[in-house]
This record gives sequence, C-alpha cells and structure tokens, in this order.
Amino acid sequence: MNMQSKKPITAAEQLLVDSFVHNLGNLPGDGAVLTIRDSYIEDIKQRGLPTRRVEAWHYTDLRNLLKTVPSIGKSADIEPAERLIAGANVISVVDGHAANIAATGGVTATAYREDLSDGSAAARMALRNSDDLVGRINGAFVTDGVKLQVEDDLVLDNPLEIQVLHGGGQAHTRFPVTIGKGVKGLFVERHISCCEEDALVSSITDLDVGDGADIVWVINQEQGLSDTHLGQINIKLGADAKLLLFVANAGGKLVRQEIHIVASGEGSELTLRGVNLLGGESHTDVTMTLEHIVPNCVSGQIFRNVVLDRAKGVFQGQIKVAQIAQKTDAKMACNTLLLSDFCDFSAKPELEIFADDVQCGHGATVTDIDKNQLFYLKARGIGEKRARSLLVKAFIVEVVEELDNEVLIEALEKQFETWLNNHG
Amino acid sequence: MPAVQETIDQVRQIDVDQYKYGFETHVEMDKAPKGLNEDIIRFISAKKNEPEWMLEWRIDAYRRWLTMEAPDWARVDYPEIDFNDIVYYAAPKSQTGPMTLDEVDPELLATYAKLGIPLREQEILAGVQQSKVAVDAVFDSVSVVTTFKAELAKAGVIFMAISEAIQEYPELVRKYLATVVPVSDNYYSALNCAVFTDGSFVYIPKGVRCPMELSTYFRINEKDTGQFERTLIICEEGGYVSYLEGCTAPQRDENQLHAAVVELIALDDAEIKYSTVQNWYPGDKDGKGGIYNFVTKRGDCRGDNSKISWTQVETGSAITWKYPSCILRGDNSRGEFYSIAVSNGRQQIDSGTKMIHLGKNTSSRIISKGISAGHSNNTYRGQVSAHRRATGARNFTQCDSLLIGNNCGAHTVPYIEAKNSTAQFEHEATTSKISEDHLFYCMQRGIPEEEAIALIVNGFVKEVIQELPMEFAVEAQKLIGISLEGSVG
Repeated sequence: MNMQSKKPITAAEQLLVDSFVHNLGNLPGDGAVLTIRDSYIEDIKQRGLPTRRVEAWHYTDLRNLLKTVPSIGKSADIEPAERLIAGANVISVVDGHAANIAATGGVTATAYREDLSDGSAAARMALRNSDDLVGRINGAFVTDGVKLQVEDDLVLDNPLEIQVLHGGGQAHTRFPVTIGKGVKGLFVERHISCCEEDALVSSITDLDVGDGADIVWVINQEQGLSDTHLGQINIKLGADAKLLLFVANAGGKLVRQEIHIVASGEGSELTLRGVNLLGGESHTDVTMTLEHIVPNCVSGQIFRNVVLDRAKGVFQGQIKVAQIAQKTDAKMACNTLLLSDFCDFSAKPELEIFADDVQCGHGATVTDIDKNQLFYLKARGIGEKRARSLLVKAFIVEVVEELDNEVLIEALEKQFETWLNNHG
Repeated sequence: MPAVQETIDQVRQIDVDQYKYGFETHVEMDKAPKGLNEDIIRFISAKKNEPEWMLEWRIDAYRRWLTMEAPDWARVDYPEIDFNDIVYYAAPKSQTGPMTLDEVDPELLATYAKLGIPLREQEILAGVQQSKVAVDAVFDSVSVVTTFKAELAKAGVIFMAISEAIQEYPELVRKYLATVVPVSDNYYSALNCAVFTDGSFVYIPKGVRCPMELSTYFRINEKDTGQFERTLIICEEGGYVSYLEGCTAPQRDENQLHAAVVELIALDDAEIKYSTVQNWYPGDKDGKGGIYNFVTKRGDCRGDNSKISWTQVETGSAITWKYPSCILRGDNSRGEFYSIAVSNGRQQIDSGTKMIHLGKNTSSRIISKGISAGHSNNTYRGQVSAHRRATGARNFTQCDSLLIGNNCGAHTVPYIEAKNSTAQFEHEATTSKISEDHLFYCMQRGIPEEEAIALIVNGFVKEVIQELPMEFAVEAQKLIGISLEGSVG
C-alpha cells in the first residue's frame, strides 16, 4: 500500500537528537560547520531514520534495526592494538580523537579537528545525496580524525596502519586522504572495539588516488558483537591509477559499510575484493556504487560472504557507466554461502549502462556448500565437519590470496580462521 | 562489442515510425462521459448488467484506490496522469453484448482482418499451415466475439469474455477473482478493479488438455479512452492451456492508458503457458503519443507439481511497467519467464518478473533479453526470493541487454533474497557464461565467435517464439534474427 503518513519519532531517533543537544558544546567547528551539523540533526528529526521504502536502504530498515543509541562516553585509556602487519607505521584514533599521528617521511598527518575548527571541512561535509544517512550522522557528530597527505612519487617501504579504536559509547571520525601522483604503498584501515560495551561508530574515509598511483587499501572492520558500525569510503581514481581495495567485515551487530567509487581518470584500474563473515544475530549491509565517467577504465569486483547462525547479510552493488565512458570493462560478482537454516542473504547487483561499446556484467549466487566438493573430500577420508570447514576456508582464501603481500595474506587468513573457529 | 549491421537493420525495421497498426476504425461508439467517480463505476457495472456484489466490489476498490499513490520507483518518466480526463467506457453502438459472428458490425470484422486476426472459423480452418486458434476479440471496452466456443465447450473448456462469465459462472469468478492480485496490491490494480470493462475468462476442468490455443486480441480504437482489461485463467488439476494475447492501437498524439490485471491459477499438476506479443502504439520519434502500458500480471502455482510459464515479446508502448510473476506455492512447482524487450525512439521499458518460492523443491528460470536503441531506456527489474520453508528452491536468472547507438540506456536491477540455506540461486548478466562447450563446438566448425554467440542465443529465443501462434509469429519473427552479440548486462 502506498499510504503515507508522518511516523512518530523512535527511541533511537530521539536518543540521537538528545545526544547531539547534550554534546553540542564539545563538537568542534566554526559557524559554517555548526550550521551544517544543525541541519543534519534537523533532517534526522524531520525524516527519521531510513526504512525499507528508501531504495538505498531497502534491505536495512534502520528505523527498525537501530533500537538504541549509547551516550557519548568519556575517552578511556586505550592502548593501540597489535599491528596487523609487523613493521607497519601506526596512526591511531581513540574514541573519536586523534591519539597518535606521528608522521613518517613523505606522509603528512594532521588532526581533522583542525579542519572542523577553521571551517575548511565544511565543503567536505556535503551529503552524497538525500538518502546519505551515514554522511548525515557523521556530519552531525564528527569530532576528529586524521587528514593524510602522501607526497608525489613516494614509495612506502612499510605499510601505514590506521587504527580506529573505541571503548564503547559513540565515536565519529573522518579521514580525508590524498594520495599523490605515482605513489606506491599499502594502507590498512582498521576499526577495532576494545571493550564489550555497546558502541555507535561512524567513520568516513575520503580517498583521493592521484594519477599513476598504485596502492592497496585494506578496510578491516573488527567491531564488537554489540556494536553498530556505519562506515563509508568515498574514492576518486586518477588517470592510470591502480587501486586494490580489500574490504573485510568480521564483526559488529549492525553494520552498514558503504563503498563509493568514481573512476574519474582515464585508464584507471580498480580491483575490489570483499570478505564478509556474518554470524550470531548480526545484520551486515555492504553497499557499493561505482561510477565510470571516463572511457577506458577497468574494474573488477568479487565479494565472498559466509553467513551463519541467525545472521542477515545484504549486498547492494551498482555499476553506472556514463554515455561517454566507452570501452569500460566492469565486472561484479557476489557469491554467498548460506550455512544455517536461519540466516538469510539478499543481493541487489545493479547495472546502469548508457554507453554501447562496453563489457559489463554481474553475477550473484546464493547457495550451500557444493555437495560434489564435499563428497570428494569425504571420499578421501576427511570427516564432514573438517571437510566443510576446509571448503569454507577455500571459498574465502581465493579472494584473499589476490592481495599479493604474503604478510598481509597471512594476517588476514589467521584472522578469518579464528573467526570461523569461534563460530563453529 | 558494438552491434553488427544486421542487428541494427533489423531493429530499424521495427522502429517506432514503422508502426503498421496505427489506423483508426470509424464506427459509431457508445461512450461514458470523461471522468472517474462512483457514478461512472455504476454506469460501467450497469452496462455490463452486473450483479450487485460485483458493483459493491468495484466501489470498494475505487475507495481504496483513492487512498493510494502512484508508484514512483520504476525507471520511467511521464507527466502526471489526469484520471478525470479519460473515458472509461467505449463500445461500438452495434455491440450490445457478446454476439455471433453474423451479428457483428462488418466494419469491426474488417478491422480485425486488417490486423491479420482471423475471426471466421472457416477461414481459420481454410489456412493450411495455420494451427487452430480460438480468439476473443476485445475492442475498446467490449468483447466483440469469441470464436470456437462450441468446440471448446465440448471439451469442457470455458472460454468467454469475463463480463459474460460474471453472468454465467458467477461462483467461479467470485471464487478466484482477485485471489492472486489482491484489490489493493498496487495503484493500477486497484484502479483496474474499479473500472475494468472486459477481458477473457478461461476455465480448464480437471484433466483436460485444452484442444487448441486460446488467444485474446486487444484493440484500443477510440480517442481519449483507457482500456482496462481483466483476464482470469483457472487450470484445474492436471489441465493444460496455452494462452496468447496481442495488442495494437491507433497512432495518436495523445497518450492513452492501458491498465490491465491478469491472474493465472494452476492447481495440482496443471500447466499454464501465457504468451504476449505486445505491440501497442509506441509514440512517434519524438516521444509524442503512445500507450502507457501499466500492467499487473501474476500467476499462482497453487497446486503441487504445477507450472506457469510467461513468454513476452515487448516491442510497443511508450511506457511499459510490467512484471509477470509467479508465486510458487505448491511443492515441486515451477515458474518460467522468457522475455525479449525491444525499445526504440523515446520508449521506456521497466519490466521483469518476480519468482516467489514458498513451496518445497520449487524451481524457476528467468531469461530476459533487452535491446535498446534510439533514445530509449530499457530496464530489467526482477525479484527472486526463497521463503524460510522453501527448501530446495532453485533459480537460474540470465539477463542480457544490448545497446544500439549511444543515446539509449540499459539497466539491470535484480533483487535476490534467500532465507534458506538449501536454496540455490544463480544470477548472471554476462555473455561469457554462454556455454563454453557450445561456443567451442560452433567455432571449431568455422563459425566466427560473434556469429556463434548469436546463433546460440537465438537458438534459445527461437524455441520460445516458435511456440507462439502464427498470427503473432509475424511480428515475433522479425526479432528472431536479432543477434545479441556484445551483450551487456
């Protein structure tokens, strides 16, 4: 039915508004920034959280799913987490405040708080569109983050690891990153929970990849079992730039990870790989948009999802090819293993094509473990349980191994294996 | 890969300005005044001599419709429709009810002859190659004639205008009407319930295989009218029927609305095959005029082992908003959707299907081929879902599109929802997944890759099209040769 009526404000919506009012004094920003913050909260008050009826949130009815919002707590003493990759330079943000931003050669790191205070952040705070709730919540509450600038032609010897840590409550951060021309390197963005208290986390990364750069960017979401994580990465790819983006979700109770990519430079190459491990009663939504707006770009994406217990998984992927973007080669695949009778998965892989000389395609599968593969292993004397776990591992490892960095592969595989072992 | 010349030529042949059925028939018409209100609904109901319960049902639908809003989620763009500027009932004056052929106005018969629809049984029989097809001819708001009724009745098959069925078989109509598409399912289905004027009713009794193809030919003729057809097909246990529909309209500068509801019900072991060749007037090159085709079609595989198959060849209409769907309720039931949608000029197509798996071991298959040319937009929108209890649900979906020229768009919006670990869903929208073996086999015999792909895809399409009856095959055949090389999703 199409009947429309203004809905009453939910408890979570009210808590969001209240926590804004209570913390207004602590939010950095000049007049322009504060006006933006006000307008976003007003939007939330007026429009409410998105429901199924908002197409971008079709499978993540936030109005129903977000039951409560923790208050903004005081910063706790949190030690940096162990590095994912030994030898990496670590930059850390704790409870929404830049903690360690020691710069290394060629990389300039400044607290995003400064941009908020002097108002230069205002332009960046614009919403992607009217349904951009992650942008709205982050814009209203963001306290800090790190602005990174990597100078042209720098080759990073050691990976740069950004740790976004929290100890419960709310944490809202933003990371504007500018990768100079011809830069080569590995960057890891980790979202880590350091306690068992509930948290509401929002984090936006703006990744501007310069012409001819060749980088690997890993997003590793390792939030706690009761956390709400609203993540967004906005990527611009320069001419002939190469980006391998790896997104892993293995945590959180309610997760929305948005990936928005614009291939704006000719000859760019994007490889996107994703692993989503969903268990318990979690709800994880990965929403991706990719816009090809210039000719001769290549993009390939593979997402592998393993869904257990009573978890719900969502994948929404949209590839748009503009009329001018001839010779685009864009491929997207989303493969899901449903391993329990109570889990579910929804996929919406969309194509929107306006150019005629292109190669675009998508594939999506949802299924259980292949019986033939299982039989093959069992015929060789491997027990059912072990055979299943081997096949699940192989399903994930296939995309991890494309990372081409032994240390990183090992670290991620170890993390995924631990997760799988913990989830039976 | 860009399209090859052959494909471009073929599509040009069915371009919007090549529309062959744009003529108008001049007969004296009996029309309702413009506008939509309860009086108009009473007028229609009285014209059709309907029982009281039918009128009440219509009025109830109208009141619900008033509380609803037009859907805006489809990728189609059109000015708001003024529902008070439409004539909801128009029928030839001479046509006081269902008639025998001899009573029908010769002018009307001439119209159908011109459209290539044989209505005289002896003529149909005279055609050597033509298979026997029973036709229900609907002209604006009224069914003109239904052929082969006597012969069908011998087999126990009921095939007649729905307005007639409401009089003659009220219990059957009452039992099944709106049980697949509820009155307030959507904006246009509610509108249809309030003002539908005619359409076909088919009843296949237990264990009967319908002895011939059944078909309905819809013609919009009168200016400013909207056509609201209602079709209801019931196939009892073990029955089989193949039903086809065709449609055309005169060439006019104004847009005309066609809002139909089609319901199919298949009981245990029954099979319904429903084919459409949709060729409404598509508007001119600049997008002036044309039919708004806002249609709700849904089949219910209510019985175990039942099967419903939709085949559509869409070439007409300014705007198409149409999702023939299957509810797979019975265990082991099967749903199929085969579609070829060609858009040209300024046409907008947003079409696809829904396969709702509810029973155990249900399976479905979706094959959609979209071809867009000119300034058109062609969207496939489909949903496949498996309910928690639908163990063993299987789906295979393939949607390919081809763009000809640089001003059109092709879009794919599939929704895949699995709530069951034994479900096996595959969705693909690439050309690379055409069987490697087939491709290799052809290429090994010296057929270039592009031709080989076209051959394989057309081999499949042909299989579907060949099952259409002859009079529809003429249009459909033009599409057969269209190769789908260089397909994009």
